[in-house]
Amino acid sequence: MKISSMVPVVIAGVLTAASVPLYAAEAGDPAAGERKTTMCQGCHGIPGYKTAFPEVYHVPRLGGQHAAYIVKALQEYKAGNRSHPSMRAIAAGLSDKDMADLAAYYAAPPAKTAAK
Amino acid sequence: MKALLIASSCVLLAAAVPAVAGDAAAGKEKSKTCAACHGPDGNSPAADFPRLAGQHYDYLLRAISEYKSGVRKSAIMMPMVDKLTRRDMEDLAAYFSQEKGLFNK
Repeated sequence: MKISSMVPVVIAGVLTAASVPLYAAEAGDPAAGERKTTMCQGCHGIPGYKTAFPEVYHVPRLGGQHAAYIVKALQEYKAGNRSHPSMRAIAAGLSDKDMADLAAYYAAPPAKTAAK
Repeated sequence: MKALLIASSCVLLAAAVPAVAGDAAAGKEKSKTCAACHGPDGNSPAADFPRLAGQHYDYLLRAISEYKSGVRKSAIMMPMVDKLTRRDMEDLAAYFSQEKGLFNK
């Protein structure tokens, strides 16, 4: 009885583990991430800011983006699979921990960071 | 002086309005395929898939165009955008950029 009642729990555990994205192995610290944003703020921190090179368009909004997706994007820039020159240069200098921290910071809702 | 003020605020207003060529209502109609991963309003329920809601129109258009041209690679996105016209992409970008989601930080 006891074992059979645990079956759904085990299944849920397996499903949860399976749904954890590939790049989220490192746990991000939003406060540490905020301290690492000096390289990001000059473009991403200015509302309405546009890139000047290689083409002109608005730099993407990062606030509220999924942390796992931000890490994935940074890893792709670092690996050279995404093409923006500035982002490649910046991502090249980031460790897995840096990426996780930055992602945690940008993913956090506005209220949470405003309270700091 | 007053006329100058009005004229200059018109210029500022015009500069602040992004040049959106797409039709958001048409984009919503065309977004059914996107909804499976990105959510019906572009707020994706899965952490692996980016939120599109509230992203800049021109950034969305650029991203989707780059998948179509092959500049940006994704085994998932490339076949999705393959059949889209420029108009489809503009409409989709208009729709997702108008939804509430991402914010400046």
